[in-house]
Parts: sequence; structure tokens; C-alpha cells
Amino acid sequence: MEQRAFVKMIHAFQRRMNIASVLQKSIAALCIGAAAGILFQAAALVVPFYYASLYSGLVLALSLLTALVLAYVKRISPEQAALAMDSFGFDERIITAYECLGQESVLVRLQREDAMNQLAEHQDRIRLALLPSWKKPVLLLGFLAVMSGLALLPSAVKERARELHEVRKEAREQMKELDELASSIDKLAQEEISQEQKNTLQEMLGSLEASRTEFEQADSAKLLSAATNKLEYKYAMMGSELEEFAKRLRDGVAASPMTAESMQVLAERMQELGGMQLAKGTGAQTGSNQQGQSGSQNGQGSSGSQAGQNGNGSQNGQNGSGSQTGQSGNQMSDHSKGSGRGVGSDSIPHDYVSVPNDIADSGNLTGNVANHEASEYFRAQNGLGWEGEHTTYESVLGSYEQKAYEGIAAGQYPSNMEEVIKEYFSSFNQ
Amino acid sequence: MDMLDQNLLQNPGYVAQRIAACELEIQKGMIGQHEIIRQVMIAMLTGGNVLLEGMPGLGKTRLVSTIAKVFELSFKRIQFTPDLMPSDVTGTNIIIKNERGSAFSFERGPIFANLVLADEINRATPKTQSALLEAMQEHTVTVGNESHALAEPFFVLATQNPIENEGTYLLPEAQLDRFMFKILVRFPSKKELRGIVELTEGVQPPPLQRQFDGAGLLAARALVGQIPVADAVMDYLLEIVMATHAPNPYIREGASPRAAQAMIRAARAKAFLEGRFNVSFQDVKETAYPVLRHRIIPSFDAISEGVSEDAIIQGILEDRKV
Repeated sequence: MEQRAFVKMIHAFQRRMNIASVLQKSIAALCIGAAAGILFQAAALVVPFYYASLYSGLVLALSLLTALVLAYVKRISPEQAALAMDSFGFDERIITAYECLGQESVLVRLQREDAMNQLAEHQDRIRLALLPSWKKPVLLLGFLAVMSGLALLPSAVKERARELHEVRKEAREQMKELDELASSIDKLAQEEISQEQKNTLQEMLGSLEASRTEFEQADSAKLLSAATNKLEYKYAMMGSELEEFAKRLRDGVAASPMTAESMQVLAERMQELGGMQLAKGTGAQTGSNQQGQSGSQNGQGSSGSQAGQNGNGSQNGQNGSGSQTGQSGNQMSDHSKGSGRGVGSDSIPHDYVSVPNDIADSGNLTGNVANHEASEYFRAQNGLGWEGEHTTYESVLGSYEQKAYEGIAAGQYPSNMEEVIKEYFSSFNQ
Repeated sequence: MDMLDQNLLQNPGYVAQRIAACELEIQKGMIGQHEIIRQVMIAMLTGGNVLLEGMPGLGKTRLVSTIAKVFELSFKRIQFTPDLMPSDVTGTNIIIKNERGSAFSFERGPIFANLVLADEINRATPKTQSALLEAMQEHTVTVGNESHALAEPFFVLATQNPIENEGTYLLPEAQLDRFMFKILVRFPSKKELRGIVELTEGVQPPPLQRQFDGAGLLAARALVGQIPVADAVMDYLLEIVMATHAPNPYIREGASPRAAQAMIRAARAKAFLEGRFNVSFQDVKETAYPVLRHRIIPSFDAISEGVSEDAIIQGILEDRKV
């Protein structure tokens, strides 16, 4: 046997040992990973654990990665391969010959010849299985099957975990937005504004902090919805207040224009959020309603803020602009709310609640409000912007009051507004 | 080293063949005890001294005399007794009278031989025992102010009786460490005993033939010292020696560094005797017992529980799988 062939044989065996090492370590590691995955999946049947499948996959991938890294770090050297070959009855001839390859004494030469002769003669002794015994692969397949079975097994706990996950995800998004706004408000509070405004801003911060706590504690869709509704309301209120502040600041001379601008931007952001979140409302909040609004906006070129979609199906509507025609329903002094049934451009009936910037009696709105009869309205100045019908408040007051009290009971409104709502409805009964 | 030795050094295969022939010839004169013969051969190939422990009449003297014949070496036997003096071993200066007057002349003792059998070494006083120390380690004898070199190859084979300890002087650890091997001579089997009886009491066997000589033995020693050892094998050997110093309830004191030197030499010699020019793990394992058994000092627990040195060594070897 040539010396080169001798070395080549050792290196070939080294490669084979490395492949076997990778395969064996991978199977062993995957067995451990699959066992851990089974534990995750079993835990997901007992306690809400949304990421059980993700963690199972991760631990499998991690175990495989660990096995590969381990196989690389502990990769077989040519000396180890030679030693392993010697274990097939060569009495350390091969490793000795390999280590003495550079030496040329009489004894070393004789030893090398002896090793090569022995290797050539008994080459068939050297056998190395790439895969471990059949037990480990079978065990791995069994573990993977059990893990997959548990992952696909439906259960109420898993549903609960899924719901919790969605709630927390939504809550996190809300809190992130809330924190940004709170930070902006906090910055505004540091500006040169009046003490009264500062106090109001501090109250806003406190109110947002309360909402944050509600989001943190929300562990069901119902609680999350309630917290969201409260926050929407707060956004709308705060937006209006901030807009008012901004207007005052612009009119005054004490504050910098930058502060007024910042406040205006924040106000618009809050009003937008309030409107956007209301638009996300559930229940009877339908596409037809959106279409109706769209028609309305196109017609009006509305300058007012679109706000006030109460998306629980019972209180639908919009913040219309002063240019809306034929505003009907119950209207409050500054944030007047109208109620009635609107028809969009595609003539699909829809419910709405509008809070126009101007009240009906201001003269900006046209239409017969006084006779409380169903009628059609149009804006003569800019063309047809909105049409619908309205009815007497007595006909809807009962259901509205009931929904409001249900909302209070469900915690849908800020606690400090509950009394206001009750007083509002009780005033109709006096 | 003369020309012949140089030729031998260039022909390791031939030397190995001659040594193997010597072993076979020794086995003709000794029935059984193949393991003992092999271990004594290993010690001779490495220049080590051997302590044989066994009952009287097991063929210890015959073994040494047979080796001497096969290698054509000089052989002396010293019976150690309590009244044996150091000068009885090493020799002494005596006054010589001649025509020119009288003068001191060194009279060589029985230690001046290639093979020395120190029979029942533990019966002599420590002073006399220690007279062997310099000879065993340095291969010289110093009397007065003069040192005398011993003839090479020099080989001491001492015996001691495991029983009848009364009136004996146990060899101190320092002296025990000078012996490369401690070999336990066990009683022969019935079949071997029959062979021994037939060999000694029957027809006179054919005389033993010289197979090699002292120069050949020295050449073999030089070759054995050149046998390469793989790193893994060396590590294994060192781990075994180090393990005698690891916490072990049965070991009071571990083996000295001389043990590691003796083990590697012995493992090389064993490989050479088997016709290999490399040391295997098995060589190390098999030589661990005779090298270590007199170098580790058992603890009180081992003595009280009857755990022998060989059992301790076996435990160490079993803990280190290769």
C-alpha cells in the first residue's frame, strides 16, 4: 500500500465518521427537542399557551442547530479517525504510523510498513454504520407523531389561549399608540401654556394612564372592547379639547406658534384615532353604512371631523360638518348627536349618529327640523351631500337609553362619564 | 557499541526474531509459567530488575539459570540471610602479599555477574539490602573510594517469600521502586506440574541452546527504546499513573514518576516481543500490573477489606475505557 493511499484511507474514514456524527447527534438532539415539544403541547392542553406550536418548532430547530454546532465543534480529526480504525483489531498500528508520517528512522519505517500491510490485509474489518440503531429514528418519528397529534388536537383551552393572544396583541397596539400620545401630551404640558390648560393636560394624562391600566388588565375580548370604546371616547373628547386649546393659542400671543401647531396636530391625530377606532366598531357597523358616509362626504366636501362611530350596532352615526343638511335626531349643545336612518349614494339604508360641528339651528343647515317629520335633505350650495330621514326623539329615546345603560353596565364608557350619560337621559324624563 | 551491534540496530526484524527464539528456548527449560517468562523477558529487554514473589520451589532459580544459558550470560546466586554483610554482596578490598610487598586488592563479590539472583532478599538486613541499590540503579559498585562498573547487561532478579515474615526485613519503598516489575509466581496447574516432574525426574532433556548473546540483548534494548508511541497511548498510560494519585479510598500513596518510565519501557518491550514496532493500549494495560503493584501503597481500608493491589489496579483500568 502506498503512503498516499494510506493517508487517503484515513481521511475517507474521517469523513464517514463526521457524517455519522452529524446524523447521530441530529437524531439524538431531535429526540430531545421533540420530547420538549410534546411537553409544550401537553401544557397547552392544560393552561392557555398560544405559542406552544411555535415553541415546539423552535425547540426542534434549536436542538437540530445545537447538534450541528456540536458536530462541527467536536468534528473528528484524522488522528481520531486513525484511532477508531485501530479499534477494529489493528493494535494502534494505524495511529502510530499516521503520527510518524514525517519520520524516517529504521523502526518507524518498519512500523509504517507493518501498519500498511495489516490495513491492506484486513481492510474488510473496518465497518462504520452511518445511522444509529433503528431504535432512535423510530423513537424520533414516534415523538414527532405524538407532538403533531397534540398540536392538532382541538380544545377549549387552546381557544382561550388564542383569544387571549388576540386580546393582548390588540392591547399592546393600543398601549403603544396611547403611550405615544401621552408622551406628546406630556411634552405639550411643558410648553408655555396657561395653568388651566396644563391642569387639563395633566388630567388627560391621568385619564390615558387609567386606560393603559385597563388594557393591561384586559384578558378577554369583552374587556378589551370596553377599554377600547372608552379610549375612543377619550380620544374624541381630548381631540376636541386640544383643538379648542390650539385655537385659543393661535388667537393669543403668549404661546409660540409651534406649540399651537403641535397641539393642533395632536388634536387631529386624536380625532382621527377616535374616528378610526369607532369605524372599527363591531355589530351592525356594515359596509353599507360606510358607503352612505362616503356619499355624504363626497357631496359635502365636509370640513368637520368625522367622529363618533359607536360600533356596537346600536349607536351608529357620524360627526358631520356644519354643512350637512337635514340633520335630525337628538342634538346636544356642543357635540350634538343626531340619530336616524341614513341612505348612502347607493340608496342602501343605514343607521347613523352624527355629531355635527354646527347645530341645526345655526343656519348652516337647511331643512325642516322643527316639525319632527321624516323628510329628505339636500345641500343646495354644493349639491346633494347627504340624505336621510329622522324621527322624533321620543320614538328612539327608549331604545337609546336602554343601550346606554347596557353600555354602562358593560363598562363601555369612561367611569367619569357614566353619571353624565345617566343625567343626560334622565333629563328627558323630567 | 561494536560493529556487530550497529548491524543489529539496522535489522530490528532479525533482533526481534532472535529474542522470540530465546523466549521459546527458555520455555523449553521451564514448564508453564509463560507469563512469568514473558515478563522477565520484558524486564531484560528494558534493563529493569525484577522482584519475584512466590513460594519456594516454583522454579525461580531455574528460570534465571535458563535465561543465562540461552543468552550465554554469567549468572550468580546470592542467598540472603540475616547475617549476610554488604561486602558479601559487593566484594571487598583484601590485602595481597607478593614479591613487591603487600597491597590492597578489590575482590569482586557475587554482584559482578550479568544475571544475579538475590534469593529471599527480605531475609537480609536493610544495610545489606541497600548494598544492592547502587548496583541496581547505577550499575556500579563503590567500595571505599573506588567505584567499579558492572558488566553489561546487568540484571537483578530478587525473590521473596510471601509467608514466613517472622525475622524478615520488609523492603523499603525506595528500594521497591528500584525494581521495575514485581511478579507474582503462582503455583502451577496439575498439567504444568506433571510437565515439571517429567522434565526434572525423567529422561534428561536435551541441553538448552544459546540463541543470542549479551551484545544482542543490548542491541535489542536500544531498539526497544526507539519504538514509537502514539500520543493517545501515551496519554492513556499517564492517566493510569495519575489515577493512582487521585482520591481513592484504597490508595494511601500513589506510584512514582519512575512507574511511568517503567510502564512505557515495558509496553515497548512487550510490543517488540510480539513482533510489533508500536505500542498498543493492551500493552499498557498488561504491563500496568507488574509495574504498579509494588509502587502503590494500599490504605488501611484496602488492607482491612482484603483488597489487593491488583484489584486496585484493575479498578483504575476499568475506569478508563479505550
